[in-house]
Amino acid sequence: MAEKATTPPILQGPTAKEKKYDRQLRLWAASGQAALENAKVLFLNSNSGVVGVETLKNLILPGVGSFTIVDETKVSELDLGVNFFLEESSLGRWRAEETCKFLQELNPEVKINALRESIDAFADDPNRLEQYSLVLLIGPTRNARVLERICQHADKSSIPLFYIHCQGFFSQFSLQLPAQFPIVDTHPDPASTQDLRLLNPWPELLELLEKKTGNLGSLSDHDHGHVPYVLILLHFLNVWKASHDGQAPANYSEKKQFKALVESGARTNNSEGGEENFDEAAAAVLKSLNTPSISSGLREVFESDDCQNLKSTSANFWVIANGIQKFHTSHNGILPLPGALPDMKAQSSDYIQLQNIYKAKARSDLAAVTQTIRSSEQEVGRKSSIEQAEIEAFCKGAQFVKLIHGRPIRVAKCSAEIDWSDRAKALSQEIQDPDSLLPIYFAFLALDRYQDDIDRIQKLRKPTDDQQFNDIMAGRVVSGAVPPLPTFAESAHFSTPAVDPEHDPKPWPRFDIPEARETFDNVVKELDRADWGELHNIAALTGGMVAQEVIKVITKQYVPVNNTCVLDGIASKTAVFKI
Amino acid sequence: MGRDRFAKQSLGYLYPRIKQSRTLMVGAGGIGCELLKNLVLTGFGEIHIVDLDTIDLSNLNRQFLFRQEHIKKSKALVAKESAAKFNPHIKLEAHHANIKDPQFNIEWFQSFGLVFNALDNLDARRHVNKMCLAANVALIESGTTGFNGQVQPIIKGKTECYDCSTKEVPKSFPVCTIRSTPSQPIHCIVWAKSYLFTEMFGTSEDETPEFDHSEDSENAKEIENLRQESQALNSIRQSMGSDDFARKVFDKVFKDDINRLRSMEDMWKTRKQPNALDFDRISKGASGTKPYVAQQDQKAWTVAETFTVFCDSLRRLSARLQTSQAQSGADTAAPVLIFDKDDEDTLDFVAASANLRSIIFGIESKSKFDIKQMAGNIIPAIATTNAMTASLCVMQAFKVMRGDINKAKMVFLERSAARVINSDTLKPPNPNCNVCGVMSSALIVDPNRATLNDLVEDVLKTQLGYGDEFSINNEVGTLYDPDLDDNLSKKFSDLGVKADSFLTIIDDDEESPRVNLSLTILEKSLPGDTKAVQLPGKLDIARKPKDVPAPTSNGDTNGHVKAESIGLKRKRSLDEHENGVQQDHKRGKIQMPSKAMGSQVDDLVIEDDSNDGAIVIDD
Ligand SMILES: [Zn+2]
Repeated sequence: MAEKATTPPILQGPTAKEKKYDRQLRLWAASGQAALENAKVLFLNSNSGVVGVETLKNLILPGVGSFTIVDETKVSELDLGVNFFLEESSLGRWRAEETCKFLQELNPEVKINALRESIDAFADDPNRLEQYSLVLLIGPTRNARVLERICQHADKSSIPLFYIHCQGFFSQFSLQLPAQFPIVDTHPDPASTQDLRLLNPWPELLELLEKKTGNLGSLSDHDHGHVPYVLILLHFLNVWKASHDGQAPANYSEKKQFKALVESGARTNNSEGGEENFDEAAAAVLKSLNTPSISSGLREVFESDDCQNLKSTSANFWVIANGIQKFHTSHNGILPLPGALPDMKAQSSDYIQLQNIYKAKARSDLAAVTQTIRSSEQEVGRKSSIEQAEIEAFCKGAQFVKLIHGRPIRVAKCSAEIDWSDRAKALSQEIQDPDSLLPIYFAFLALDRYQDDIDRIQKLRKPTDDQQFNDIMAGRVVSGAVPPLPTFAESAHFSTPAVDPEHDPKPWPRFDIPEARETFDNVVKELDRADWGELHNIAALTGGMVAQEVIKVITKQYVPVNNTCVLDGIASKTAVFKI
Repeated sequence: MGRDRFAKQSLGYLYPRIKQSRTLMVGAGGIGCELLKNLVLTGFGEIHIVDLDTIDLSNLNRQFLFRQEHIKKSKALVAKESAAKFNPHIKLEAHHANIKDPQFNIEWFQSFGLVFNALDNLDARRHVNKMCLAANVALIESGTTGFNGQVQPIIKGKTECYDCSTKEVPKSFPVCTIRSTPSQPIHCIVWAKSYLFTEMFGTSEDETPEFDHSEDSENAKEIENLRQESQALNSIRQSMGSDDFARKVFDKVFKDDINRLRSMEDMWKTRKQPNALDFDRISKGASGTKPYVAQQDQKAWTVAETFTVFCDSLRRLSARLQTSQAQSGADTAAPVLIFDKDDEDTLDFVAASANLRSIIFGIESKSKFDIKQMAGNIIPAIATTNAMTASLCVMQAFKVMRGDINKAKMVFLERSAARVINSDTLKPPNPNCNVCGVMSSALIVDPNRATLNDLVEDVLKTQLGYGDEFSINNEVGTLYDPDLDDNLSKKFSDLGVKADSFLTIIDDDEESPRVNLSLTILEKSLPGDTKAVQLPGKLDIARKPKDVPAPTSNGDTNGHVKAESIGLKRKRSLDEHENGVQQDHKRGKIQMPSKAMGSQVDDLVIEDDSNDGAIVIDD
């Protein structure tokens, strides 16, 4: 209390920027905001692209660093009907520049560039992607090659890429994340992050236990009713162990018996007929007495090569993971203590004492991990040492870290089938579910394939003039032996042969499930009807979903969709698939 | 090739209906901006926008129709201008006004085909819900908190209304509740944090999200008094550091201001009067109390302890602010302190001040621990959630406009990477709901002579056959019950019962009580030889069903969605699904648009089975 009176830190009022971003800083904090403000987003558009513009709107408002729009089209009357960031006067001008002009008004702090050129340039030159931190690509691209090349370039440079379709009432987006995408700050539910370490108490905690419960029976009613439940549980654990060969209750039925033992300790000769602290203790039995175990996500991190074999070039994430793994091994399978103590019925002084014991333990665990990390850093010859704060954040959330393995975007070509490899089985199982939204994804793949086919035929035919090309596109028979182009619906129908994925590694999925076939056909029909057009409302919804995932990826906070999300805008339903 | 080609193609027969519609949007904030854009681009023909708010800096991270230069201007007007620039063909009307204003009466609500609620406070939401039920207009209700969002279509008699399930306590409060008539601990905490602390140590003109200004216009005089009060407090701030600073502040806010409030007799007709505190008396009683009592954060402090923490934290904060002022250069902004729940000095001050105010108003004191939690809460808000929620509102509106009520859904947004959007079948009205589980009627009142007794005797007892056990209530509180008969001789106008306001009659008959009766006041001069209060027609009031629980309060929650509450709600509604709106497991091949929605039957098949998302649209 006396030290409270020393000179306090100087506080300035929040800056205008902090005020403007106040409501979002509460979700992703200053670190997330900094990541967002450093991000450079590239938007490659070769369609109406409203979904991309809406995504950008949702990134510009919270203050993304910069973005670049690549678009070779001029504004048409149709654009005005769906794109909010154009106006009457934009007609006939370059769409990239016009859109940028209106988007810039949303936030003067964001740097905005317009490139009026075809996105093909980014397929041809692998180096052009490198200056960006994230790519938004709207499908279908002119042909499969453009899509494939851009995705490959992004993958090689470890730049996250979003591939997005939006037509009529349907939309879909897939994320191509780097092969390893670790997230430390997953923002788990605070209630799930508690670790009281009751099965591995340490001397300071046991000392307090002895002091407070050594003569539990002779405590006054007031004191008895204020023993913190953590100590009650520890006390009865000792009682239990004494009659169970030193073993803690291990299974459900033993825990139930143990709970009854705890409950029997409460004094009932009072007006409430029980004690609140004992109620709290009984309620906490099931969740607090689990033998220490690590989440599957963390296990995967521990077991991966990058964690096992540190190099001088290893990312901070792996160096810290290695340190925590060593701690875990040398401490009989426990993780560093997060140190947070839940609210509980107790006298203030006892609670503070208990809180201090947990905090001190968390600090000493952190120190142990840090020490391990420092010697690893030396061992592998890293130039700089990792900041303590980063280690601490990892220690606190170790149980909840998540490592996502990025997967490539699937490219549908007219000349070859997709190799579904490791996902073939899971996807053909998914499609058995008559309610599955997966057929919507396949309909968009069919669209890509159709576009690729049109591009191929167009090149084959080499139309002599615009009139002839328009005739071909409209499906009118042109002089010559080549039959007219199939409509998308026809094309899609033929592009879904039923091949058993178990035996053939590269089929389209089977559509022998009538419901799936019907859904697929219906979506294809609707996409055909939409005629490459976007509905603003669906583009806005999808733009919201995409931007949300972009923010997760940029801030490396929260767990992003892995890896494909499908929207049925008629039923207001979404589904997420690993493709 | 028109600009609306795609909308026409995809929306089919619905499109002309959308173009001819007349739509009301209440609220032009986070959801409202997005919603307006979507409505305009979907082709909604005529849109009215109502919002009382003005634009604040902290809105700009998501309310994209507003810019820096619009700060302090009307949200409704700026939103209209921004959207109109985009599409000159659509008729937009903006009202910079409170939706509770009398001009927005039932008749006015009836002029719309559909109403969207894009509001941020419980009070206005409830009001619009009630008006839409009375006008029998479909309402699309929505709200967001951080990553979570929720959309609920409300159709009278077919779905739950906004008040059918319990709503959590709002996080924003009318200014007068905070400054003049607190009734809960949270009111005092908000006062201490957002008013007293800010006036003493912060930038006093700060807009605080906890203050709901939507009722300001109704209380213009008191708002002016409060403004003067703030100014006076600000001048006391100049004497910070002087020996009697604590006494000056204390006397101002815990004595003088309270005595002024106490003198306003109208305010305390239905409330308990506050009692001012005396500095010297409490000071004497607190002489033995040490400031470190502030560390005891689990229990509610005694008056003496609260007083001691108040004086001590005031001293600590004053010292900090003055040190900063002394150290800051002339060219930097004047230093201020900001409330931070993790900053003990600021938390002590807020806890002590809040509890002193609670003592004055006879409200339960809270522990510092509890106050920390209650004071630290600010609702996060982001662009993405608003964008998604607004789009989902429009999607539900399509279903309502098609007459596909059975396919309309309660839709939830979640942060989860596994689903993104969740939906739930709409539940039927709660028969015990105090808002929609009621019989509604107009009540014709002659404002020159009608008294409450006329209603009780002539209409309720004689005409409708009520027994002795019932109460008459309005928004302010209970006007009449068997133990409260002081108002019987008063005229409606003297009781503040105005035209277009509501009275709720709650039958407390032990045997078989009637459902609540909601009466809308219709003022009309009636011939002197007829009754001064009349019903427009015969009324047959149903009795309450037995064994159906009324919505009950579950305590300390807020008006917006929370992940946990969504989880609970979903679970419960799944269990109760069999009493719910029938879910079509079989596909209805042909959906006839409902006649009730005033639509003509089209030769169009829409198969919209929300269970599998399959559709067929032929035209
Ligand atoms: Zn209701």
